[in-house]
Amino acid sequence: MKKVFKQRVLFAVIALSFISGIWLSCRKVPIVYSTSTDVNIVGYIDEHLDSFSLFRQMLSVTGYDGFLSAYGSYTLFLPTNSAVQSYLKSRSKDSISQLNVDSVKDFLKFHLINDTVYTISFTDGKLPYLTMYGQYLVTGASNSNGSTYYRVNRQANIIESNLREGNGVIHVIDNVLTPATKTLAGLVSADPDYSIFAEALKATGLYDSLNIAAVDNADSTKAWLTLFAQTDSVFNANGINSYEDLKEKYSNTGNPKDPYDSLHLFVDYHIVNRANYLADIVTVTSYSTWAPLQALTVKYSNDSILLNDDVFNGVHEPGILIPRTGSDVSATNGVLHKTTSLLSIKQRSPFPVYWDVCQYTEIMNLPAYYGKQSYYYPWDQLPSFITAADGKSSRPQIGYVGGASGSSPVVNYDYLELPMGSNRMDWVELKTPMLVAGTYKVWICWRTAGKSQILQVSIDSTVMQRTYNKSIYLPSGTDAVLEAQGWKHYTTSTSSNVPAYLVGTINIQTTGQHTIRFTALSGGDNYNWLDMIQFIPSDMDQQWPRFDQDGIAHYSASE
Amino acid sequence: MTKLFRYISFSCAALLLLVSCNKWLTVKPQDGLIRDDYWQTKEQLAAAVTGCYESLLNQDLVEDLFVWGEIRADMVASTLRTPDDAVNIMQDNILPSNSFTDWSPVYKTINNCNTVLEYGPDVINKDATLTDSAQNAYLAEAHAIRGLMYFYLLRTFGEVPLQVKAVSTDADVEQLEKSSKQDVYNQIITDLKFAEKYAVRSFGSNDRDKGRITKYAVFAMEADAYLWDDKYDSCVIACDSIINSGLYTLVAGKTQENWFNDLYYTGNSSEGIFELQFDAQALNPFYSMLITSSNQYIASTDHLSNDIYGLDQTGLAADIRGNNGSYVGTNGTILKYAGASAGEDYTLRTSDESYAHWIVYRYADVLLMKAEALCYLNRGQEALDLINMVRDRGQAIDLTQESEDPSATEDIAKYVLDERAREFAFEGKRWFDLLRYAKRDNYKNLSVLTEAAIINAPKNVIQTIINKYKDINSHYLPINTDELQADKKLVQNPFYGN
Repeated sequence: MKKVFKQRVLFAVIALSFISGIWLSCRKVPIVYSTSTDVNIVGYIDEHLDSFSLFRQMLSVTGYDGFLSAYGSYTLFLPTNSAVQSYLKSRSKDSISQLNVDSVKDFLKFHLINDTVYTISFTDGKLPYLTMYGQYLVTGASNSNGSTYYRVNRQANIIESNLREGNGVIHVIDNVLTPATKTLAGLVSADPDYSIFAEALKATGLYDSLNIAAVDNADSTKAWLTLFAQTDSVFNANGINSYEDLKEKYSNTGNPKDPYDSLHLFVDYHIVNRANYLADIVTVTSYSTWAPLQALTVKYSNDSILLNDDVFNGVHEPGILIPRTGSDVSATNGVLHKTTSLLSIKQRSPFPVYWDVCQYTEIMNLPAYYGKQSYYYPWDQLPSFITAADGKSSRPQIGYVGGASGSSPVVNYDYLELPMGSNRMDWVELKTPMLVAGTYKVWICWRTAGKSQILQVSIDSTVMQRTYNKSIYLPSGTDAVLEAQGWKHYTTSTSSNVPAYLVGTINIQTTGQHTIRFTALSGGDNYNWLDMIQFIPSDMDQQWPRFDQDGIAHYSASE
Repeated sequence: MTKLFRYISFSCAALLLLVSCNKWLTVKPQDGLIRDDYWQTKEQLAAAVTGCYESLLNQDLVEDLFVWGEIRADMVASTLRTPDDAVNIMQDNILPSNSFTDWSPVYKTINNCNTVLEYGPDVINKDATLTDSAQNAYLAEAHAIRGLMYFYLLRTFGEVPLQVKAVSTDADVEQLEKSSKQDVYNQIITDLKFAEKYAVRSFGSNDRDKGRITKYAVFAMEADAYLWDDKYDSCVIACDSIINSGLYTLVAGKTQENWFNDLYYTGNSSEGIFELQFDAQALNPFYSMLITSSNQYIASTDHLSNDIYGLDQTGLAADIRGNNGSYVGTNGTILKYAGASAGEDYTLRTSDESYAHWIVYRYADVLLMKAEALCYLNRGQEALDLINMVRDRGQAIDLTQESEDPSATEDIAKYVLDERAREFAFEGKRWFDLLRYAKRDNYKNLSVLTEAAIINAPKNVIQTIINKYKDINSHYLPINTDELQADKKLVQNPFYGN
């Protein structure tokens, strides 16, 4: 009996320990529920509450912690506690709870972008995406005491960057970001330096157009604007000491509200669509302004940005400098720039452009080639002023042909070879030199060669009236007879190998660089040898000057 | 009888065991050598040193040397096929995740040297035919290569961890802290001093004299290192040791074709001091980088023709080192490594010919290093003479001539910098030259570095770059993220923390 009891006790103990063993070990089996241990943005903040507890409170108050801890791709500019504290102090508040919930929401929205933006895509200007608040953030780098930081919106430095979390990227900033509160019109009228310009804005009625925040603007094309404002000191330097002086000088109808009044146009000329920060401005060559058909040109040289710094008819017109300080000021509907001299529409009469298409810097920088020998361009290395339809590597290449003479009395001993037609380029575009608005006769000047091929010319997608055949020689006849038929000599030689043909008359609407396109209508041939394109105002002499092989213009036969 | 039988069978069994023991109890690998069996003869020591040189031919290493030495500066431009990470370096958007911040090819070579230096000294006890001087000569080569590698790291990263012990198993891997720039520099000088003392003057054949480190190659490294630390007197002494040996001359520059053929295509010229010996069996990485139509790097041709080599509008005078010499003006091909022949009818190397040597040091370098040092020692005229020697060989055009005033130290220093740009275009030296020039006298000439950096940068990031460069820590690369994770003692270089 005793033995049996002992055995049972023993058995019970063994069973119990066995079961408890199973029970204990069971609890330890780790089951992985998530595919990643990466935290989301809110998770990161929760892990670093000692630095970001105030921002965490803002998220809780607004309920934004919900979507920031869920799937997505966001960029958060995360201010530290000290940054938020100084923000609270500036608004004379002691805690987050004293803030209006809607204002906290706006505050958060301005720190969030609905996409991931790493510092790699930062430029000197605005970020490529709007904040959730609906304003752009500008970036840059700032250096103080030898240390450089990325600077956001000129308000905060990034002290820790590119923290990749599960649903986006965090940049920690040492100051809060505050959105612009004024419109462009508001900025100008609030700054006493712009008092004359502000009055002109009001008098022309443009003040109202510039006084709509981008989010409230029904017309999306004009929601974001760029304004080049004119300071009083610039006006003063030009003898304009008050709005009355300005009106006297510019207004021709006496009613600046009239869109055709020249004061209205003067102010229009200072406004460009879209928010163009300086970093955007340096990447383009011209902008069309609110003044109809009037463009601003942009030049970037030696680290300064110049407007309307152009060479017209061989004469350099010094441009208008945009200073970096005082420019790039954000508004709720765009960006405000300062100008250091008077920006006004220039009245220009059209002048002729005798354009040797081979005078471009890429070839002139190669004295071994320029004027001496030929070079054929690989398709991905075309000179910057040429755009071709497609660049299949098997196709005949565009070439610079230098050193031509003898039976090819071409100007400057060179021409461009543009193989066109079947199995070649369907079209090719060249960027012209600066043309002043006006009506021009367009002459195509080539070296006749190769098979018959009809080419069509269009300028800024306006098709010219006449096509030409690049294999045809210059017909015989007197200058007057030839001109009546739309032919002429463009060189001083009498050779029929170098004809010029009038493809039509074009009304150039805006002053600036334009695009001329050649389209092959028939055939397929490499020997399309283009020497010059001449734009001659239609009321001027079309026959002279003619050019010799050294490129010198002769204004009469006796010269 | 049975007893006898038992004895026989027992001893048979024992014999069998003994024989088989050899096979299954041994733990040595059957198909290779282990360290305990190596390091026995002088031949093995020689082979290990050769291994150090072989590791220099690592394609990744040479690509790094090209990228670190050239692309942040002004003379190399990107194409559509340039790797994103390289474009980011060109635009000074450098993150620690950038693949070109991976220094492992350099440390691989350093570890090879460390291995030789750790186990090599013991060989003399095993092999009686190894003499002291022969042993020290081998060790000198390893010291020199290690010094050179740390010198590249110092100039590229600033502060790096100094590993001077061999690592052959995972158990040897140490967590190392970064050493200061001064400590790294001291290590370099210590290595080079040893090498200078024991390196041989010649290996008996021209190819080996250019492909292995002679005493003169060590002098060249020392001169470069001294110049980096502004020790001009020592630099001049090191340069003079090479110049006075009379062993080196400039390759003649009478025709662009011959100059190119001797110096770059054939290699190991009378000018070469130390060249990485790529050949048909060990190709360099430049075929895909520079030669094919999908090349990744091209010359910044406009800048080179306008600002570096100068443009003679008549086309009569031309620097042989410029168009169709170092690069092709029309399409930007970097001819130094890509060309089979130079001149107007230049030809390119084919894929199996891509073995242009990587020239680490050559005589022209020594002359210009000496000129640089001399001008700070107020020996301007001697410096100008050396510059003109290099200019004459290169047929530099009058347009690029600068100050002829021997007392104008600053002008001559700039002249040397500009002449070095012309002479060593694309040879992996430009960025280091600019940085050395800029950082002198407490970054007095920082603007030169910044101007070079923005030449090929997009216009809309130039302001950012200018501001970044004001932080001198941005001139060095960050430590790669992977290294930071592997070695917890490493601290990211300043500037890249934020």
